[in-house]
Amino acid sequence: MAEDEAEWAVWLAAAQRGDRQAYAALLAAALPWLRRRARGRWPQSSAADIEDIVQDTLLALHRSLDLYEPPRPVAPFLFGILKLRGADFRRQHRRHAVRQTNLDDVPVTSLALTTYPEQEAALDHATMRTAMQLLSPRDQEILDMLKLKELSLHEGAAQSGLSITALKVGTFRAIKRLRRAMGVDDAQ
Amino acid sequence: MRNETLIEALADALTPVRRALTPGQATLCWVMVAVPVLALAIGVMGPRPDLAALMLRPDFAVDEALAGLTAVVSAYAAFCAGRPDQPGWKLGLPVVVVLVWLLVLGRQCAVLSMSVQGAALRLHADWMCVPAIAITGLVPAIMMVVLLRRSPLFRTTHACLCGTMAAAAAAEVALRLFHGAGSFATLLVWQMGSVALFTMAGSAMGRLVVVRFRPRLASAGMLG
Repeated sequence: MAEDEAEWAVWLAAAQRGDRQAYAALLAAALPWLRRRARGRWPQSSAADIEDIVQDTLLALHRSLDLYEPPRPVAPFLFGILKLRGADFRRQHRRHAVRQTNLDDVPVTSLALTTYPEQEAALDHATMRTAMQLLSPRDQEILDMLKLKELSLHEGAAQSGLSITALKVGTFRAIKRLRRAMGVDDAQ
Repeated sequence: MRNETLIEALADALTPVRRALTPGQATLCWVMVAVPVLALAIGVMGPRPDLAALMLRPDFAVDEALAGLTAVVSAYAAFCAGRPDQPGWKLGLPVVVVLVWLLVLGRQCAVLSMSVQGAALRLHADWMCVPAIAITGLVPAIMMVVLLRRSPLFRTTHACLCGTMAAAAAAEVALRLFHGAGSFATLLVWQMGSVALFTMAGSAMGRLVVVRFRPRLASAGMLG
């Protein structure tokens, strides 16, 4: 390892000067070492997570090349990046895991797989709003007053200037046209 | 992407890099900017009339030295925080210095309050401390951000916390040379309170300033 260390320090210093071969040699030599250290530090992590942590470490090393001070040992530098990136990765992983549900583990009868009634109501409401855009301005106004704002017939009549009978007829026709616009048959 | 493929891509994307300043060099650079700016601030605001006599008092000199030490040690810890190979104890150094500074101030406050029968504990509202420390610490804080943005940061929150503490402590050193506190309690609450306030605000906002607006390295361009 001591010989490797000396070689790694030479490679990393050369990489700072733009030597691509030395850089590739360093990364290739460091990859199994990083995997080993990551497995040793986080033994409970899956193989995929270890690969992700190592990948994050390689990317961070690439962005931090200017931070290395030759001839300081390379291993503590690399291990420092691995520790910090690994901790970040695991923190993010834990945060996301709280919001994730593995569907394989959930019985098909579980309530977790059903949508909430509020979600369905919100979807229906959005569909109706879109369909209303296809109606005439007069139909839109009548439906908005009586069905969305839920005004009484008297309030609606006062606001629109229509008689109560005309408002009732207008509402009946507007609903019929809205159902057609939403693709609902009269039979349904 | 497989790591072996990534290695090839990284090697292809490599461009020469200029070595970043070491934490010691960055601290020196920061001190060299902060000291003349603070001296200028003291000159503009006008030094306290009793400054010469105060400088001869050991308690005042110790306070100033500890505030200065806090500034330098915090700046050094801020620059160490971004280095992956720096040991953890260096990052905790500012806590030790700040505690010593607070203990010394607290002890002086207690001793004085006994000798003057509580006069030192009388608290006066001193709103001038807050903007004075903010304005005086602005240039050291900007310089800190400039230096921290030069290198990729690993422990950004810690670096921002220490960096703001360094700027606030440096401002406190200058503040006591042109602005006198009415009593020790006023000094503890208002001046140290301002340092604490700006340290917390800076650590909360600093990460955004340092990380979001950090210039990207050319060689890391393809990696996003």
